Amino acid sequence: MSKLKLVELTDRGIRTRIKVGDITLGEDFVVIAGPCGVESEKQTLETAEAVKAGGGMMFRGGAFKPRTSPYDFQGLGLEGLRILEKAKLNTGLPIVTEVIDPRDVSWVCEFADILQIGARNMQNYSLLKEVGKAERPVLLKRGMYSTLKEWLNCAEYILAEGNLNVILCERGIRTFETYTRNTLDLSMIPAIKELTHLPIVIDPSHGTGKLSLIEKMSLAAVAAGADGLLLEVHVNPCEAKSDADQQLNPGQFAALMQKILKLNHFMQDKAFKSSITGGDIQ
Amino acid sequence: MKLDDIRQNIDLIDSKILKLINDRMEQGLLAKKFKEKIEDPQREEKVMETVRNNANTLIESKFSEELYKTILKFSKELQARDLVITGFQGEHGAYSEEAVRCYNKDYVTIPCTTFNEVFEGVNSGIYDYGIVPVENTLGGMVGPVNELLINTELNIVGAIDMPIHHCLLMVPGTDHRDIREVYSHSQALAQCRRFLSRNKLTPVPYFDTAGAANMLAEKQPRGAACIAGKLSAELYNLEILKENIEDLNSNRTRFLLLSRHEPKEEGSKCTITFSTEHKAGTLFSVLELFASNGINLTRIESIPNEPGDYSFFLDFDGSVKDTTVVETLEKAEQQTSGFKVLGCYNEKIIEG
Repeated sequence: MSKLKLVELTDRGIRTRIKVGDITLGEDFVVIAGPCGVESEKQTLETAEAVKAGGGMMFRGGAFKPRTSPYDFQGLGLEGLRILEKAKLNTGLPIVTEVIDPRDVSWVCEFADILQIGARNMQNYSLLKEVGKAERPVLLKRGMYSTLKEWLNCAEYILAEGNLNVILCERGIRTFETYTRNTLDLSMIPAIKELTHLPIVIDPSHGTGKLSLIEKMSLAAVAAGADGLLLEVHVNPCEAKSDADQQLNPGQFAALMQKILKLNHFMQDKAFKSSITGGDIQ
Repeated sequence: MKLDDIRQNIDLIDSKILKLINDRMEQGLLAKKFKEKIEDPQREEKVMETVRNNANTLIESKFSEELYKTILKFSKELQARDLVITGFQGEHGAYSEEAVRCYNKDYVTIPCTTFNEVFEGVNSGIYDYGIVPVENTLGGMVGPVNELLINTELNIVGAIDMPIHHCLLMVPGTDHRDIREVYSHSQALAQCRRFLSRNKLTPVPYFDTAGAANMLAEKQPRGAACIAGKLSAELYNLEILKENIEDLNSNRTRFLLLSRHEPKEEGSKCTITFSTEHKAGTLFSVLELFASNGINLTRIESIPNEPGDYSFFLDFDGSVKDTTVVETLEKAEQQTSGFKVLGCYNEKIIEG
């Protein structure tokens, strides 16, 4: 991976830390949760309260939705951004939201704390260059047909424009398997850690597309050393306009949070850490 | 054309009709100041005649006469009430009007074109009060107002210090990606300079923030937005694209309330103005009086009269009923020329 000048982990081993509100990404374990799309003010504000109550650290929600069909719900656009701003005002949770059009980047920056580049736009180079000039961290999702090398090259695009605050997000890739929506590639966590200095978060909601698999895959991601999770939570999943089958309800989210935090606490425990280091298979 | 488009036009027309009726009621209240009696049958007949003469196929006179009977009846009812009228500079929706609302929401606000009109209107008794901005944390002092204050016979009877939060407003339904130009008062544009440059928007100076909002709603220029307060969004039926777009959140303006009469209640803050002789240490010796008597100065401003000749404004904490203040002011008057106590009043501070 010789052309990766900026994303590669150097011999000095310094890892990227990104401060957003009270959280330092890459240091504190972060759970970013919220609905797939901002559908209405009521749904969004109620979900934001549920995320806050359940222990989520950041709130996510799409105002601009890239959808497979042009006839599906396309998002509320600017109105959606204003609703997210209100959710932040109410809960204090930083906002993560997707940007799909280079013309929207500066506007989304006015409302959001982290810009998300979705899987379908991972190789949208004009968009990558635009967010590379933005003054907000970028969460770059892995494209569903992309190799690790292609993914890291896209991160390189953003860093090369001057924005060093990139968070990678594995959200599953397309394989011949049809039981799951995508195949969640957790091997990316240690791979990213040994190749780059960037933080990586895991999205088990899109990664599996199945409610029943989300808990186990979330815990597996924590055990594998992920820097955080991206979870879809909806105050009333049955009524969701998109991704209805993979959004947790507030109760499921709160219960999962308890397990995630416990496992993470255990993983961070010094005695446990030192007992497993040195035993790595080389 | 679709039903939605037509309904949007109707909403816009309704907001204009209501605004015009409001303007008409305001004029009625002002007219009352010149009339001996509220009732004036001759004038009423003339108004009704104009209404009848303007009838056409759609607006039959039986409709418009009914409508105007209602309007005149309500106008007279308003005139019979003892409403407190406050003049402010700018158009409806201006920050000065927001300040009046924060001070006392029952005061009726009447727009004036210039600061001079505000002073004149209070002087002549058309307005009970006038409100004027004197200083802003980002923009500094409001020069024209301070010049008028030096020469006025009016009293300062109140002050209000409030945060100024700018909003980016657009005609409802505008695509934010099409916006290129932003109209507003040059000071508001300056206070949002970084926001504008981040979003690659061109600032276009306009005489007034609320005036820009009014123009935007009326003319709907393509690719344009404006910077004004929330009140303007409500009044002109504009959509708020983004709130709090000012570069610094410490954007505050201090307004003074003026009246022909002295305030009824005891004040805790005073404003004086004076000039000093052109000799070494004259200003210092005036300030020393306040320092040695432990009076806290809250503002000092100098206004040039002629080259080399200045008037000074001094605000301080204290009441003109306090003996230390009385003594200090007596001494200060002896040492200066053009000495005047502009007012002893209470200041309302709005947080946020």
